[in-house]
Amino acid sequence: MVIVTLQRDKCIGCNYCVEMAPLQFQMSKKDGKSVLLHSQNAKGFFTLKSHDHSIAESVELAAKACPVKIISVKET
Amino acid sequence: MTSIHKIELMAPAGNFESLQAGIDNGADSVYFGVEQLNMRARSTVNFTIDDLPEIARRCEVKNVRSYLTLNTIIYDHDLSVVKTLLNKAKEANITAVIASDQAVIAMARSIGMEVHISTQLNITNIETIKFYSLFADTMVLSRELSLRQVKSITSQIEKEQIKGPSGKLVEIEIFGHGALCMAVSGKCYLSLHSHNSSANRGACKQNCRKKYTVIDQESGFEIELDNEYMMSPKDLCTLDFLDQVIDSGIQVLKIEGRGRAPEYVATVIKTYREAIDSYYEGTFSKEKIVVWMEALNTVYNRGFWAGYYLGQELGEWSEVPGSVATQKKVYIGKGTHYFPKAEIGQFKIEAYDIKIGDKILITGPNTGAQEMIIEEMYVNDSTAEKATKGDDCTFKLPFRIRMSDKLYKIVEA
Repeated sequence: MVIVTLQRDKCIGCNYCVEMAPLQFQMSKKDGKSVLLHSQNAKGFFTLKSHDHSIAESVELAAKACPVKIISVKET
Repeated sequence: MTSIHKIELMAPAGNFESLQAGIDNGADSVYFGVEQLNMRARSTVNFTIDDLPEIARRCEVKNVRSYLTLNTIIYDHDLSVVKTLLNKAKEANITAVIASDQAVIAMARSIGMEVHISTQLNITNIETIKFYSLFADTMVLSRELSLRQVKSITSQIEKEQIKGPSGKLVEIEIFGHGALCMAVSGKCYLSLHSHNSSANRGACKQNCRKKYTVIDQESGFEIELDNEYMMSPKDLCTLDFLDQVIDSGIQVLKIEGRGRAPEYVATVIKTYREAIDSYYEGTFSKEKIVVWMEALNTVYNRGFWAGYYLGQELGEWSEVPGSVATQKKVYIGKGTHYFPKAEIGQFKIEAYDIKIGDKILITGPNTGAQEMIIEEMYVNDSTAEKATKGDDCTFKLPFRIRMSDKLYKIVEA
């Protein structure tokens, strides 16, 4: 499983995660911050659990590119 | 041209503590960021959109103007949040928006909000002033101009009667005190290159402040540099030539530091307030400058220089990675109660100790930053010379404190 977490409130809206992983991230037009698609919110931490391991590479690139380091990826 | 009206002193506010400190110590205006679209998106805990009415309320009570900074690069996905921020700011009665992107300028004008042009637009000549006068009443000049160039611009505004949308002459603002950076008007790519973290989206990693060596890749020799922090300029300070600054015809003096502590804002604003008032009273003197500089040296600084205002050929570079302030604060404890009739504050001591004669600092979102010297105190309900960790300590306070307030001791650095 690939577990991706986004601590959304700290997002500065730079758009890099969307560039790296456009199928998992989108910029919200409402508040200008990143949205992790198909994720569940638990107290501001948005988590996506996916069995599709092919997304790992792109979300890891997104985590690496994030200037405020609010994206984490775990692969199990 | 000598200014007829007193210049406006503008304070930075990164949080409610600093906002209050600026207002309490004599700022004529404050500037602040809300949410992520400002040049301090990373370094401070920014205000949220819901804080706008409270910011406006606190400013209005003291007749202080309030400016929302919305001056980063703006992408398509930001446009909606820009619109929301501007509408909420207008609703809350925020005085003006400090903008650099044309989208923000246009959207603000479309709802009749006053616009100030940010230094990010790097205004360096009169024709650019004329261009932006179609949209803005106040413009921040490039930090790299000399006072001679500033004066030339302000004189031409007067001569050519260049007016903003309000119908009044365009007002010129310059940076008066605080951090400078090596990039022209802050338009720097260093942090983006090294950490993918754009300064122009408010996420500067401040890597220019670090120590670097240059290595010749062919020979492997390290090139010796005269200066170890060759990308880190000293902090700007205009206090000792404030008379020349005012004589240059500017109307607004901005103090940098939305990432700085509330006591920094309190000390710098109080000092510049006194200096500005003193200029207009005709008592601005070398003796006073010595005292004021001592005060400015007590809070965070990388050493001071006059920026480019006096026409230096090159920058002066910092000799240290951080501050050379002569004082520092040590956390002691937190406020637990205030007895309004007796005017006594109670604190729980959580670290170190305090004793009679100590200089203390109390900070809080409503308290701002207040400094005083302890003259008498009670510990666990009896008089005492000293309070240590674990004690409940009370002493007389001429101002109200709150439960969230923090108590510090000011010591020599």
